[in-house]
Amino acid sequence: MTSVMLQATGIAAGYGRKRIVEGIDLTVGRGEIVLVLGHNGAGKTTLMRALFGLLTPDAGSVAYEGREIAGRRPAENVADGIAFIPQGHGIFRGLTVRDNLELGAYAERDAAKLTQRLETVHGLFPVLRERAGQVGGTLSGGQQQMLAIGMALMHGPRLVILDEPSIGLAPNLVDKVMQSIAYINRTLGTTILMVEQNVKYSLPIASRVAVLKTGRMIYDGPPDPLHDRVELMKLF
Amino acid sequence: MDLALQLLVNGIINGSHYALLGVGFGLIFGPTKITHFAFGPIFAVAAYVCWAAATKLGMPLAAAALVGIAASAAAGVLSYLWLYRPFERQGSSHLVVLIASLGLFITLENAIGIVFGTDTKVIADLSPDIFLWGPVVVTSIQLWQVAALALIAGLLAAFLRGSRHGKAIMAMTDNGEMAQIIGIDTVRVSILAFAAGSAVAAVPAVLILFKEGATPHMGFVAVFMAFVAVVVGGIGSFRGAIIGGYAVGIVENIGMWEIPTEWQSTIAFVVLFLILLFRPAGLFGRALR
Repeated sequence: MTSVMLQATGIAAGYGRKRIVEGIDLTVGRGEIVLVLGHNGAGKTTLMRALFGLLTPDAGSVAYEGREIAGRRPAENVADGIAFIPQGHGIFRGLTVRDNLELGAYAERDAAKLTQRLETVHGLFPVLRERAGQVGGTLSGGQQQMLAIGMALMHGPRLVILDEPSIGLAPNLVDKVMQSIAYINRTLGTTILMVEQNVKYSLPIASRVAVLKTGRMIYDGPPDPLHDRVELMKLF
Repeated sequence: MDLALQLLVNGIINGSHYALLGVGFGLIFGPTKITHFAFGPIFAVAAYVCWAAATKLGMPLAAAALVGIAASAAAGVLSYLWLYRPFERQGSSHLVVLIASLGLFITLENAIGIVFGTDTKVIADLSPDIFLWGPVVVTSIQLWQVAALALIAGLLAAFLRGSRHGKAIMAMTDNGEMAQIIGIDTVRVSILAFAAGSAVAAVPAVLILFKEGATPHMGFVAVFMAFVAVVVGGIGSFRGAIIGGYAVGIVENIGMWEIPTEWQSTIAFVVLFLILLFRPAGLFGRALR
């Protein structure tokens, strides 16, 4: 296996007194695309928010590149090379595409790096260059998702956590977004941890799959067995 | 006709005052989403500190004004750190924070009365120039009220669009959680917003001291007119707060052509009611998501 980038052990998290996930162990290797599957309410989003620091875990540890980061503020995680793309197009809807991309690199102060990354993002998603002056909230759903991914790439993350990037998108756009994620992983070497419900388009790009059911991990392994629909259905 | 022209000019002058209050209030409310009613007495702090610096310490008026503005900015930051931040940390609801803010409003207003007395404080030897422009009469302080808005709005636009911290305020105003996600230190930006918003509102407070004098209750009208300007213009829009301020100021003054002056504040709230009824997001606000 590749070297470990993120290792979560015994994670328990929830909101107030309500525990959503319990005893989750999850390992993400450097350069992998790890897919977290599960039904609505399985605790996928809660787990991602706890890993990124938007939610403080009630128990367990999160080691990133060997350092403990559980309960650390998101700003510190961003500075350390972790990006998070929340569910439902994580953009500033009232600001222009240009402003959104610049803000994506808020933690980066090196102007040369910013120019280079902007070129990379424009290369990946040329529509963002064409619509630089357009207000983010007026883009189509697919373009908003491209902008969200572009923003995350602007600070040069080593690990990107995506929460259901396919939500609300037409099937052809879902495929395009998934191929973009695979391309970013392949060409930039960015490690991906992604929550999804759309098995059809996300499974083919995954290196490894974890399946959550009512807050507990019930599968953690290679994607190949899950290509068999019967095997997959057994988990749901 | 002469009266209409004078009322229109008065409306523009009052509108500039309300617009500055709206911009100050919006600078705080936009990024932090805190309904900071204690904005009122903190506005009054600027006037009283300026008055004390000028009359008790004998400072020149410009220097006294700067001391007043700095005191208001400091009081704004302290209100965030000592009152609102602990509630934020606990994840308290907006209603709890609103009630705490009203508590601070009453406490500060009474504290000002106890420390400075309840009589009107004026700077005695201040005599503004009077200009007669045809049928219209304006004073130098009224012109300063209009100029202050133009100057501050220009500086603020440059700050918000051109600086890293300004962009962070814009980002938090748009989406607080996304601001956290891209690595903005939202606590630091909230401190900056309280300092900047309180300092902006301190300018009209000092000008009101020069124009009419200061009373412990002067913050009451200020916070409500700021709130009206922000809601009429559209929450989250600084341009909206300015236009909202002017809309209220002009309608309020033109309305006095036919309506007795004691109904002036009522006109502002009728405008607020009508805007909320027909454009709930305000003139320039986005529909609430």
